[in-house]
Amino acid sequence: MMEKQFQTAAKFIEKNCSADDFSFYIYKSDEQRTRYAQNMITQNMSGVKYGVGLCVAYGNKSGRASVNSLDENELKFLIKTAQDIAKLNKPDPEYVPSSSKAKIPVVNNLSDNTVKFSMKEMVDIIGRTVENAEKKKAFVSGIVTKTIGDFYLKNKNGFEGFTSGSQFENSMTLADNKTREAKVERSVKDVNDYSINKELEQLNSRFDALTEPKKIEIGKYNVILRPQAVINFFSFLLYFLERKNADNGISAFHESVGKNMFGKNFSMVSKLNEKGLTAEPFSWDGIAARDFNWIVNGVVKELYTDRSYAKKIGTEPNFIPNFIIRGGNATEDEMMKKVKNGLIINNFWYIRTVSLRKNEVTGLTRDGIYYFENGKIKHSVNNLRFNEVLHEAAKNILLLGKEDNITSSAKVPTMLIKDFTFADTTSF
Amino acid sequence: MDHLAIALDHAQSLGAEYADIRVQKTRREVIYLEDLSLKHTSMSVEHGYGIRVMKKGAWGFAHSNIFTDDEVRKTVEKAVKVAELSSRIKKGKGLTLAFERGYIDNYSTKIQIDPFTVPLSEKVDLMLEVNKTLLNYSKIKRAFFMLESHNDDKFFVSTLGSMIHSNIYYVYPLIEATAVNDKDSQSRSFDKGGNAAGWEYVLKMNLIEKAAQIAEEAIMKLEADEPGEIKRRDLILDPYNLGLTMHESVGHPTELDRVLKWEADYAGVSFATTEKLKKYRYGSEIVNFVGDNTLSFGLATAGYDDDGVPGQKWYIIKDGILNEYGTTRDTAPFIGENMSRGCNRATSYYDFPINRIPNLYLEPGKKLLSPQELISDTEDGIYIEGRGSFSIDQHRVNFQFGGDMFWEIKNGKKVRPLKDVLYKSNNPEFWNSCDAICDDRYWKDFGVTNCGKGQPPQSSRMTHGASTARFKNIRVGGSK
Repeated sequence: MMEKQFQTAAKFIEKNCSADDFSFYIYKSDEQRTRYAQNMITQNMSGVKYGVGLCVAYGNKSGRASVNSLDENELKFLIKTAQDIAKLNKPDPEYVPSSSKAKIPVVNNLSDNTVKFSMKEMVDIIGRTVENAEKKKAFVSGIVTKTIGDFYLKNKNGFEGFTSGSQFENSMTLADNKTREAKVERSVKDVNDYSINKELEQLNSRFDALTEPKKIEIGKYNVILRPQAVINFFSFLLYFLERKNADNGISAFHESVGKNMFGKNFSMVSKLNEKGLTAEPFSWDGIAARDFNWIVNGVVKELYTDRSYAKKIGTEPNFIPNFIIRGGNATEDEMMKKVKNGLIINNFWYIRTVSLRKNEVTGLTRDGIYYFENGKIKHSVNNLRFNEVLHEAAKNILLLGKEDNITSSAKVPTMLIKDFTFADTTSF
Repeated sequence: MDHLAIALDHAQSLGAEYADIRVQKTRREVIYLEDLSLKHTSMSVEHGYGIRVMKKGAWGFAHSNIFTDDEVRKTVEKAVKVAELSSRIKKGKGLTLAFERGYIDNYSTKIQIDPFTVPLSEKVDLMLEVNKTLLNYSKIKRAFFMLESHNDDKFFVSTLGSMIHSNIYYVYPLIEATAVNDKDSQSRSFDKGGNAAGWEYVLKMNLIEKAAQIAEEAIMKLEADEPGEIKRRDLILDPYNLGLTMHESVGHPTELDRVLKWEADYAGVSFATTEKLKKYRYGSEIVNFVGDNTLSFGLATAGYDDDGVPGQKWYIIKDGILNEYGTTRDTAPFIGENMSRGCNRATSYYDFPINRIPNLYLEPGKKLLSPQELISDTEDGIYIEGRGSFSIDQHRVNFQFGGDMFWEIKNGKKVRPLKDVLYKSNNPEFWNSCDAICDDRYWKDFGVTNCGKGQPPQSSRMTHGASTARFKNIRVGGSK
């Protein structure tokens, strides 16, 4: 239900904005965040944030402004600033008028259980986490976050949408004073879907499996990427799958639509009613969400296209409401038995683009990496640097595990991938 | 000012051992010009306050944007409640704060032309002229110009008696040209980072001339060879490349909160642990890194940090040895330091201040030496300008960096341009391989405006600086 002050602010903007075209958003974000490190709370924060953003245009001259208050004086400043910028600005040959009325899909992104979850209960979870660490003579660090948000978008041409969402998240890293370091993190819409017992069990299992790491040679390895590693690696597609760069020959997706670029085992989609997953019902610039098949069985089906570029090339704009990579049924044991040996990777870290044209990224392993052989984990290994091409890795997928809702808006499986390229070693 | 007094009085009446209130108004103008299309012209304003209290050895923090006596009291009460809850999970007596006294002071960035008073048309005309220059080259398929003007107006008041006003500005122009042929795409940027200055900084840059240069170099990269397999060669790095490398491999590892493992869950920890202080050879004897939050053009310079500690200048690496960390009032006591080095900064009013890299620079070499002389003295190497791909592990040991423009050096001469070059090294190998640093005539600063750290991530800023320097026998080549 939209707050009355949202409605009042919206009416004020509509009444007082004299530009040819306008589009505005109003949001509220109620946040509680508690950080802990070395078995103690180090920071604890609470507060509500508001924001209002307005984009106006006179002809094809546009201007934007934003403020963090719904106060009438601030809104007057907002309208004047956006309008002044537009009046003084140069014409934009690619200006696109605000979007017209659209049917907004119904999604349920809000949980009452999360809304009611108290800061005391958040601290209780940290208490359990610290108690677990102390039993293991180890140290835990992390953050517990609860966010409740409302977002409203309206424009002059008839688009109007309102959505509310909730998120609870706990991220925890368990480490000793030597080399062992393991992490689990999960975010959920409904806090009742979060089990601290289950998460601690997984954290302990990863931590306990760590041994004194051995250094291994660089080269190509079979890898079992656990869901957090899969998300961090393949989420670069959210940036790379962009149509304008593809059409201009800047990215690897040049003339890619319809081609099998990723191999038959890779499918990336967005689904609005995927069980346990939230989805944005509309984008910030007024595109109503729908289900999207971005890549199906390796074939590129659709590229992300913003409203401005869509108008230029005469197509429908789109956006990515959530992130799903389709999985299979293989267990980790089956994956370990499928190949002679390889590495299990819990997470990647500091991934950066090496070449947009080649679809290549670099990064390091983190939070536990294990060597397996003949179906069994043998020992931990030192962290490694990879330089890898996203679609080449996808082509090399041998097995897929069950999909895991690792975050409230993303779902990915564990993957067994052959010939993953490690280009450097680390000293720990 | 009444609200400030109410906040502190109320916090003390509720048993806070320490409290501060930071009222912050942030103005930010951002213009994006993609080719000749103004994709984004915006002015954002955020105004509010954050109240931080320490009670029973634990922090509590709450923020609001409503400036009424009642709301200020409620926000204090929330912060105190949060501190009380936090105090349930602490070690011993909990956190303590390093000594500091109160200050009554003002600090303002020295600017000649307030960037917010410059007519929008003047800025956009300049940007259009630059992008037209880039697009005049037929192989340039994308021209991008981002111009940011930033102002933070802050009042900091604490129960130590501090009452500090700061008014901070920076401007940041960034230009990028992307050249494309049927086989490849390559970009080249003009990016000196942000600078704590006014519009006069942008006017002095000769951006049209620079645009022509980066367009030609982007096209040159398109046709250039890749460097081949990784092998050990000498590297000569310009100040803008070194800015990012020192940020990641010296700046972050010497933040004390990382050393204490407070960032273990996300941003990471540090190999530069406390037993290494005053002993560990971080670099060769000519390597001296200075933390300096008094630099007039430095992005971390604000007179005082968000603990109310004055800006200082100190050696972080002295004659190659790890000398000191960047510290805050809540981290310094953990290593027995009586006072903080003043590195606690928050991004917005609603952010909790955290341990940040200060302005950090590599001191220039003491002997007269130019980049050209350095190249002439190099038999087999690669000269790298500007910043590119960058990645470092969570202990800040092993890293891989790229660059923006690359030249092969053979027998003392730049013989050909290269593309897609990466260098891989680690601490302590890299800084110990530094055998020559050009003198102060060639020292240049590079301002970082988007240093991400913390949970939730905050984007902070600081300035780095260096003269061109040489690193012997480093692994350099292509990506695999």
